[in-house]
Amino acid sequence: MKPGLLMTTLGMAMAMCLAAGAANAKALVYCLEGSPENFNPALTTTNTSLDASRHVFDQLVEFERGTTNLIPGLAESWEFSDGGKTVTFHLRKGVKFGAVKDFTPTRDFNADDVLFSFNRQLKADHPYHMVTGGKFDTFNDMDMGKIIQSIEKKDDYTVVFHLSEPNAPFMANLAMDFASIGSAEYADALTKKGTPEVIDQVPVGTGPYSFVAYQKDTVIRFKARPDYFRGKPAIDDYIISIVPDPTVRFAKLKAGECTLMGFPRPSDLPEMEKDKNLQVMHQAGLNVAYWTFNEQKKPFDDVRVRRALIMAIDKAAIIRDVYGNTGQAAKNPIPPTIWSYNDDVKDYPYDTEKAKALLKEAGVTTPLDIDLWYMPVQRPYNPNPKRIGEMMQADLSKIGVNAKLVTYEWGEYRKRLQQGEAMTGQLGWTGDNGDPDNFFFLLGCNAARDGGQNIARFCDNGYEGMLQKARQSTDKEERAQLYEQMQTIAHDQAVWFTIAHSVVYEIAKANLTGYKISPLGRHEFAGADLK
Amino acid sequence: MIRFLFRRIALTLPTFVALMFVTFVAIRLVPGDPVEVRVGEHGISPERLAEFRHQLGLDQPVWKQFFDYVWRLLHGDFGTSVVTNQKVLTEFFTLFPATLELAFCALIFAVGIGIPAGAIAAVKRGSTYDHTLMGMSLTGYSMPIFWWGLLLVMFFSERLGWTPVSGRIDLIQYYFEPVTGFMLIDALLSDQPGAFWSALSHLALPAIVLGTIPLAIIARMTRSSMLEVLNEDYVRTARAKGLPPWRVIGLHALRNALIPVITIIGLQVGGLMGGAVLTEYIFAWPGVGHWLIDAISRRDYPALQGGIMLISSIVIIVNLFVDVLYGTVNPRIRHGR
Repeated sequence: MKPGLLMTTLGMAMAMCLAAGAANAKALVYCLEGSPENFNPALTTTNTSLDASRHVFDQLVEFERGTTNLIPGLAESWEFSDGGKTVTFHLRKGVKFGAVKDFTPTRDFNADDVLFSFNRQLKADHPYHMVTGGKFDTFNDMDMGKIIQSIEKKDDYTVVFHLSEPNAPFMANLAMDFASIGSAEYADALTKKGTPEVIDQVPVGTGPYSFVAYQKDTVIRFKARPDYFRGKPAIDDYIISIVPDPTVRFAKLKAGECTLMGFPRPSDLPEMEKDKNLQVMHQAGLNVAYWTFNEQKKPFDDVRVRRALIMAIDKAAIIRDVYGNTGQAAKNPIPPTIWSYNDDVKDYPYDTEKAKALLKEAGVTTPLDIDLWYMPVQRPYNPNPKRIGEMMQADLSKIGVNAKLVTYEWGEYRKRLQQGEAMTGQLGWTGDNGDPDNFFFLLGCNAARDGGQNIARFCDNGYEGMLQKARQSTDKEERAQLYEQMQTIAHDQAVWFTIAHSVVYEIAKANLTGYKISPLGRHEFAGADLK
Repeated sequence: MIRFLFRRIALTLPTFVALMFVTFVAIRLVPGDPVEVRVGEHGISPERLAEFRHQLGLDQPVWKQFFDYVWRLLHGDFGTSVVTNQKVLTEFFTLFPATLELAFCALIFAVGIGIPAGAIAAVKRGSTYDHTLMGMSLTGYSMPIFWWGLLLVMFFSERLGWTPVSGRIDLIQYYFEPVTGFMLIDALLSDQPGAFWSALSHLALPAIVLGTIPLAIIARMTRSSMLEVLNEDYVRTARAKGLPPWRVIGLHALRNALIPVITIIGLQVGGLMGGAVLTEYIFAWPGVGHWLIDAISRRDYPALQGGIMLISSIVIIVNLFVDVLYGTVNPRIRHGR
């Protein structure tokens, strides 16, 4: 065989192999409902934006996929000392950062990266603090600036966090996206180039995928990292296609242009469930919708009145008529996906006669005029506040309570409600980090103030003592027991009429395996595969 | 001609001023501001709330916010998005090629079908074809874009599988860096076999949806203008001279009938920009319309103000251009007669 012919044949063979390799590469398309604001999880607050950068990064501690349990991430282990005020993290060795088009890392992850990522948010004089506007909303919303006194590098693989007070939810905070660890070496390289802002547009992290490209409002591309410390993900190309309309997302899923979509239209669910090429996954969302009574206003200072009103409402009818299959009745202030959920609590029955008797026992003369505030907007936990308000109004009239429906523009509504203006009002909560404290603080004494989140103005010494004790304990068992008792108190004191937890649906092609729906609303594909 | 041009340009200035004012006020009439949208039920401390408002200039009196906005605009500064922290002008021109490509193809579709269809309807006046076409154009004109778009997706993409559902190209098969921002051109430049056809098939439905209303208007306008022209003496003379019918209709009648149609085509640019907002949303088309909807939901004042100003400027400039073109074609307009 002539050398030229041999080379040509070999070249063709290689090209065919490469083509075959490319054809065998597994690609997953996730249809995302909106465009990301940027690619720094510390600078965004919405799950839509966080989903766009999540796979590039890791945190010191992480949420176990599909749960709110904490597992080691970039920190292999940690210990508390100084009565819970000092946390020492022992970092994982040999962890590589991903490469991007204009940057190839030359060193492994170490303590400098942890210091860079936190100090950027903590210190206003940090050179990267004001890059991209300096709005570290989640860091500030979670009071991290007050909780963390300082961060110290003991050696390349040991970092010590000094806290202002013992704070058990701190660990769950560290598993949130805002606590993602970026590369200090990358920041230095960008500073030298004079383009520091690129750090938030072309992300570099230790996560399972490296960022390839973003075409605004169209597509985000990621490539699986063979050197990822947990092993290369099964899906080679992770593609995010931005599709805002749920009907179009569903059409794309059916046509095979998407592998997974979130936020389907409830009316499409029956068709989705019938389709054998699709799998419908669902889970209770990390939220709660409630209707509460201002205990500083008469007659709601009497627990019997609160119980009467709770028993007058037909919760099952609200779930059936308003939520359909997108909500499940709530009986506790926390959703069942959060550890420490007390399933032994028995919800109040719908019993109009008992409700009337309780009102009579409390000395309330009917007709009783009250106001019932309903939210002017839909929320993830409440698809139709006005309709729910009307149903409550109708039920209350059966026990002689005339409820006047009141609402305001959303900002105004919240402000007035938090100032204690309403007698009774609807609201809800969406959890941040899966820690029970993130829900239970809503009924704490500190929040029962003007502008606070505790619009019931409930302040019970027993409850408050347990809340503080649980916050300072690092023993999960002990915390769980305290939270279970607090749920019993909240129930017995009839603080809230707990309406529902939304049910989150995600729809995927039938060939997607190993994917776990997250109670935190995340979309994580590192453990997923395609059949 | 130069006096005419100056007069037309002078007339656009009050339009720009009114536009600045209306854009500024209308956005602020929508309940909620960028800070409130961000806060949600988590609440925020009064200090942080004040800090946010200060950063965005929302703590200033409204009149001062307006004059600051006009002052920046006069200096060519369209502001910085409060959501992405990117320059509004950069974001706009990154996305504008996609809108332009879509609008251009929709216009080609509308003109390419509308003019011949309207001309034939006029020639065959009173025939079944004429009635059917006029009925269809009325339906097309009345069709809500959102509904029409979804209907076409369900039929052509879901049921028949002829066209992709949305997007600009097959994301799994093709990947190349954008060069011009126009997907058809970039696909050709990429040298990837099949990329151009993929881009074209993705463009088909959005262009049809966006072009439907202009198509209906152009067809109706061409028909009525042709009917008028067909009764003119010079057409009768041309017929009497024994010219073949295609020559009479195509050269003598249609050319003159197209003069008012040019104005209508120019006016469609505004409609196309408005329609692009909905079309881009349905087809996940990454243009400025899609971007503006995002900006509304996030109350991104600078992006909204800047985006609307830029789009409106384009519409005003295109209309100015059409007026000038019309003045050239029809000197009676130029001389104010």
